[in-house]
Amino acid sequence: MSKKSAEIVLSKSELQERRRKILYRILPVVSVLLLIIAWVVASGGDQSAFPSPMAVYERFLKFLEKPVQKLSLGQHILASLGRVLAALISSWVLGISFGILIGWNKKANALLGPIFTAFRVVPPLAWIPLITIWFGTGEFPKILVVFIGAVMPVVVNTQAGMSNVDQQYLDVGRIFNANKRQLLLDFAIPSALDAIFAGVRTSASAAWMVVLAAEMLGGKSGVGFLITRGMESGDLPLVLLSMICIGVIGAILAIAMQLIERWVCPWTVKKSN
Amino acid sequence: MDGKKIKLSLEHISQSYILNNKAFDAVQDVNFDVYDNEFLVILGPGYCGKTVLLNILSGLEAPVEGTVRLDGEVITGSDPRIGMVFQKTSLLPWKTVMENVEVGPKMAGVPKEERRKTAQKYIDMVGLQGFEKSYPSQLSGGMKQRVGIARAYTNSPEILLMDEPFGALDAQTRYAMEEEVQKIWQSEKRTIIFVTNNIEEAVYLGDRIVLLSNRPAHVKAIYDIDLPRPRDTVSEEFLRIRKEISDNTDLAL
Amino acid sequence: MSVVPESDKQAAVEQRIAMVQKKKRQEKRTYLLLSILGIAVFLGVWELASDLNLVNSRYLAAPSTILKLFFTKLTDPNPDGAVLGVNVLASLQVSLTGFFLAIIIGIPLGLLMGWYGGFESFVRPIFELVRPIPPVSWIPLTIVWLGIGLPAKAFIVFFSAFVPCVINAYTGIKQTSPVLINFAKTCGASNFTTFWRIGIPSSMTMVFAGVRVALGNAWATLVAAEMLAASSGLGYMILMGRQFARPDLILLGIVVIGVIGVIFTAILGWVENKVLGWKK
Repeated sequence: MSKKSAEIVLSKSELQERRRKILYRILPVVSVLLLIIAWVVASGGDQSAFPSPMAVYERFLKFLEKPVQKLSLGQHILASLGRVLAALISSWVLGISFGILIGWNKKANALLGPIFTAFRVVPPLAWIPLITIWFGTGEFPKILVVFIGAVMPVVVNTQAGMSNVDQQYLDVGRIFNANKRQLLLDFAIPSALDAIFAGVRTSASAAWMVVLAAEMLGGKSGVGFLITRGMESGDLPLVLLSMICIGVIGAILAIAMQLIERWVCPWTVKKSN
Repeated sequence: MDGKKIKLSLEHISQSYILNNKAFDAVQDVNFDVYDNEFLVILGPGYCGKTVLLNILSGLEAPVEGTVRLDGEVITGSDPRIGMVFQKTSLLPWKTVMENVEVGPKMAGVPKEERRKTAQKYIDMVGLQGFEKSYPSQLSGGMKQRVGIARAYTNSPEILLMDEPFGALDAQTRYAMEEEVQKIWQSEKRTIIFVTNNIEEAVYLGDRIVLLSNRPAHVKAIYDIDLPRPRDTVSEEFLRIRKEISDNTDLAL
Repeated sequence: MSVVPESDKQAAVEQRIAMVQKKKRQEKRTYLLLSILGIAVFLGVWELASDLNLVNSRYLAAPSTILKLFFTKLTDPNPDGAVLGVNVLASLQVSLTGFFLAIIIGIPLGLLMGWYGGFESFVRPIFELVRPIPPVSWIPLTIVWLGIGLPAKAFIVFFSAFVPCVINAYTGIKQTSPVLINFAKTCGASNFTTFWRIGIPSSMTMVFAGVRVALGNAWATLVAAEMLAASSGLGYMILMGRQFARPDLILLGIVVIGVIGVIFTAILGWVENKVLGWKK
């Protein structure tokens, strides 16, 4: 079979197309290789300013033997993830409820919307100094900062979804004599789930970014702390190692959010079939 | 009129909207009766106010003037005795076919087992058995409209409003669906008020045709169609009626 | 048909129009009153809580105190070492440098990536590898490389604004309607002409959405960068507020940061309106 297909004469444009496809498959490999080579070359000069991939790998092995601040790499990651998770869950519960309230009820929006907007325009990290004055540097203030960062996109998206519910769905509800509660629960909220999930997805990446900053500004555990520790002790391989961990976990978080969305809103996925 | 029972009557219905401080008349002094179990077609050119009229009947809008009587009593707001098949199928994309069809009794608080049984009956009736767990996005246009019909029937209304239900379908599917609706109407007698802008569809389906004018819509003429069913769309009589109505129809704006 | 004199009809219509207008006005007024009430109650409770010492002044400063500090801070460099104007200018300089660099580099990159498959398959892997690393975590490395001056902070800000610029330009141009592309090709346009005349204009809405996100990111990241590596700027000012336990200074910083953020958004909205006016 394969032999036969090889004998098929391809037209000039088909040949071109095939060559292009092969090229497109090779180029990504080339680019990543170039990136790694560039990294090695750049680190070749001054190891103290730019550690090589090998140095980072060695630092990783060393970490496995000798914990930092009595915690292993996994425990630091878990510390960060724990904060993110606590903040995310509370931000989803409160953010979605609040977003539904101000998105669905115009009077509530008139009353509370402006105050929310005033809080929203402040970058979450700017609250860190005030929150440390209020609550010190323990676990709660960190979770609170992450919560502030995560709750904003959730509220904004939920509100947008709830105030733009497609009239036709509400008409269906009214035709079938849904009462006000049913209109909200069975028609408006499900139709806004797409928008709500867009907020949830953003909240996850926002939370991951804020937790780093919070840990870098004060803390004794977590990947953000590892970065600061690495910088303060001139241990640049540790800094790079933490950055790689952060990137990988950030990517995993994004994928996890997509999986959750598929599970909660199966109808959005099946559209592609 | 020869002993037919009047089911629904529209009395001096007018509707107008205030837009940018100007009044736009959509419907003007519409009067007609609908008989019990008849297939009534409301025919009119595009954008003439047909949908507005239907929204008034279904209680989605309140008219500026006039009253709607159902079995002699004035009705306001949406009434469970009146069901609706929407123009854009308006299926809820987050619900499966089964969940979409059972939505009426669910809102009324009918227990799950019971409403599922009714829903299943109508899903079977429109020929969608096997698709109960599919989402609307997985269905074709014709299938979606079938779900819409099953959904309306499951709520067991006495009057069914259909708002250009097949307007978005291709010709082939459209013919099939017209036949289907007729069959269903014959087996499950209900009063159907069917809105369309397609003259052939109107003559094919209607016991009577209410012809509306351009906007603001008012009744231009009412035709009794006495052809035997199923109708032959190329018979001389059919073509004659079709031409007669066609000559009397306003051009769409 | 009931016969109604034309003049009566006219009067009835006018009455209805007046009624609708009145209802609209009333609604507007109710909402406005509610908004004012909400803000007034919020500010009032805040003011009273600090004036009556319900909350210790070490933790909270009253709105009136903050307003007073605002005027003092216009001329007084204490305690962080710079007057408010200098701090604002320092922050603006850093954030705008990073932001504009991100636009100049990020948008063309995203557009090219979305249009030319070869370029995409080369650049995208690198972009995807670097993208999940939050900009804040670059701070230590940039300090080692570039110190704590303008370039280091601008780089961090650049990075945070760069990602949404690329992503939106990329998605925007990918969504170009195939009908338009085919139309251009039928008219004999070259691939580049199609890219320039069809692809780029039709991606503009998405690009602007990206720029809006980029601006928000730039401003948020700036605060982080200034708290972690700076000796001036608004972020540095609020950090000093913590060091000297001055909640009034922190709150002033927060308010100023928020207000500038709002001004940024307004300017961008105005520009978008000018550029994308044809969309309406």
